[in-house]
Amino acid sequence: MMRLVWRQIIGHPVRSLLTVGAVLVGVFLLCLLRSVVTALNAGVDAASSVRLMVQSSVSLFVSLPISYQARIAQVEGVQAVAKWQWFGGYYQDPSNFFGQFAVDPVQQFEVYPEIELPAEQKQRFLERRNSCIVGDQLFEQFKDEWQIGGTIPMIGALFPHPDGADTAWEFELAGVYHSSSGALDNRTLFFQWDYFEKTADIEECGVFVLKVAPGADVTRIMAEIDALYENGPQKVRTTTEKEFQRQFVTMLGAVPLFVSWIGGGAALAILLACVNTMLMAARQQVHDVGILKALGFTDAATFRLMLAQSLSLCCLGGASGVLLALATEGYLVGVLGTFFPGYTIEPQTVALGFGAALAMGLVAGLLPAAQSARLNCVQALRGA
Amino acid sequence: MSEAMIQARGLTKRYQRGGETLVVLDGLDLEMQAGRFYALMGPSGSGKTTLLNLIGGLDHADEGELVVSGESLDELDGAELAHWRAANVGFVFQGFNLIPVLSAFENVELPLKLTPLSRAERRKHAEYALELVGLKDRMRHRPKQLSGGQEQRVAIARAIATDPKLILADEPTGDLDRKSADQVLELLARLNREFQKTILMVTHDPHAANSAQSVVRLEKGQLQGIEDNPAPTARSAGR
Ligand SMILES: Nc1ncnc2c1ncn2[C@@H]1O[C@H](COP(=O)(O)OP(=O)(O)O)[C@@H](O)[C@H]1O
Ligand SMILES: [Mg+2]
Repeated sequence: MMRLVWRQIIGHPVRSLLTVGAVLVGVFLLCLLRSVVTALNAGVDAASSVRLMVQSSVSLFVSLPISYQARIAQVEGVQAVAKWQWFGGYYQDPSNFFGQFAVDPVQQFEVYPEIELPAEQKQRFLERRNSCIVGDQLFEQFKDEWQIGGTIPMIGALFPHPDGADTAWEFELAGVYHSSSGALDNRTLFFQWDYFEKTADIEECGVFVLKVAPGADVTRIMAEIDALYENGPQKVRTTTEKEFQRQFVTMLGAVPLFVSWIGGGAALAILLACVNTMLMAARQQVHDVGILKALGFTDAATFRLMLAQSLSLCCLGGASGVLLALATEGYLVGVLGTFFPGYTIEPQTVALGFGAALAMGLVAGLLPAAQSARLNCVQALRGA
Repeated sequence: MSEAMIQARGLTKRYQRGGETLVVLDGLDLEMQAGRFYALMGPSGSGKTTLLNLIGGLDHADEGELVVSGESLDELDGAELAHWRAANVGFVFQGFNLIPVLSAFENVELPLKLTPLSRAERRKHAEYALELVGLKDRMRHRPKQLSGGQEQRVAIARAIATDPKLILADEPTGDLDRKSADQVLELLARLNREFQKTILMVTHDPHAANSAQSVVRLEKGQLQGIEDNPAPTARSAGR
């Protein structure tokens, strides 16, 4: 029976290939869109409960005086405070987009224990004033141009170099880190705060990231920090890392929903196309089904024959779509990684893609299968 | 007298067309012996195909009794009829007998898939059937790559693959040239002669009917009579 299914599929190669192609594209898009949405939420899901962010209560884009750091560090239960400032520069070309932050090197490692790098590289970063570290995914992308010990020239779009806007900041690459948690991606460049402060002559920073001592009351600490600057000069808002990450997802607003709607619409269109194709296939096979029934194949057998054709085509397309998604994963991490750090095809996404194809095959095959089962053998053979 | 293969009593089949009722078979009585070769003749529209379909269990009669190969067909439901067909009847239709996407071998093997035979046994049976119709060397060919006569012979191979006692052929030579038609007729006569198959062949060609042992005449849904043919051509022309 399976042989006949395959022969019917191969016997109409153009129709079959188009159907497989449509399902392939649909499943590939589905995997891609779902992975983007999961990537968006990955930071939120992986956020640590012992890390807090202090930002201006006005907006993330309003900076805070760096003098706050020492006061915040004195709050009971706060273990370490690190300054973070978005640098917003670019390497060679603005399209080479990745995140860069000026950070306090010592505190950075205390606040983010998930940052792993060889001891001598870490030591070098701590010691060399103009040094930086980059994530391993980012390093992988530029491994032909960058080397440890060499310099990475960065054009400071937000913070032009004092020698002129065309002059690049030169960061010495001290090491390559790997972050073992989704809260911090592996596509970021971190460089020394002091070098930044001296060169750009800055006295403010974007956020403070702090680590809470084990067992300390997080709610109390948050309230206490907020209270410190209740009356100015700059009001602050302290949030958990989870809340902080979530505001980026919320900033995208309806985009994830919109993306799901597009995905759903595309899937529906492909489903309708598949139903149409399978109805056409069933019409072409009326005579064949008549012969099968005359030979003694039951209605149930011809039902299965039609359904199996639909399922085979859709599963083939689904498997190819999932494979394509997996095959392009590495490439897309490079392209989308900065916007959607943590873009990976999860096993659940593979299951979803394949499940969607299976469902399509089932739905698309049901009507033609029922038609074939109901077909009157005598009429079919008369060619009516 | 040998045992009866087909017994019909008051067999009636009607079709609704527009508001009218068309009585195609009108209380037909019929008895056919096992192991004989019958030709069923009659003008176009006289109900030959309809009768053949009833005997083959492809369709139900509206009234009357029909016993074929010991089974009362009017008592069987759709799935039971399908199983009965698979085990008891081989069909050869006028044209477009074969499934175009399958090779000659695969077409012949198809009814064997409904038997408990193993893959190897199915292969043996199908090859033997193709050898019998003289087309074993064409078994990898698709129907499109065969001539009309060869196609009909593959259809005959398929009809005998499961070794049914009864073979029903609806104008098997209708679309063929004289030479191919003679080959098909000779083949049917041989199946009757050497393998004791009961054959019922619809035809309106007197030459074709001449290879049968008996000729059944049908007109306006009524049986006009059964004549014995003392000297069937294929038999005398045989080896
Ligand atoms: N499904 C049907 N609906 C209505 N009329 C039919 C149907 N099938 C056959 N007929 C009519 O029944 C009559 C007998 O048909 P058929 O058995 O094919 O005759 P024959 O094979 O002798 O030419 C014809 O008039 C035909 O038009
Ligand atoms: Mg007819």
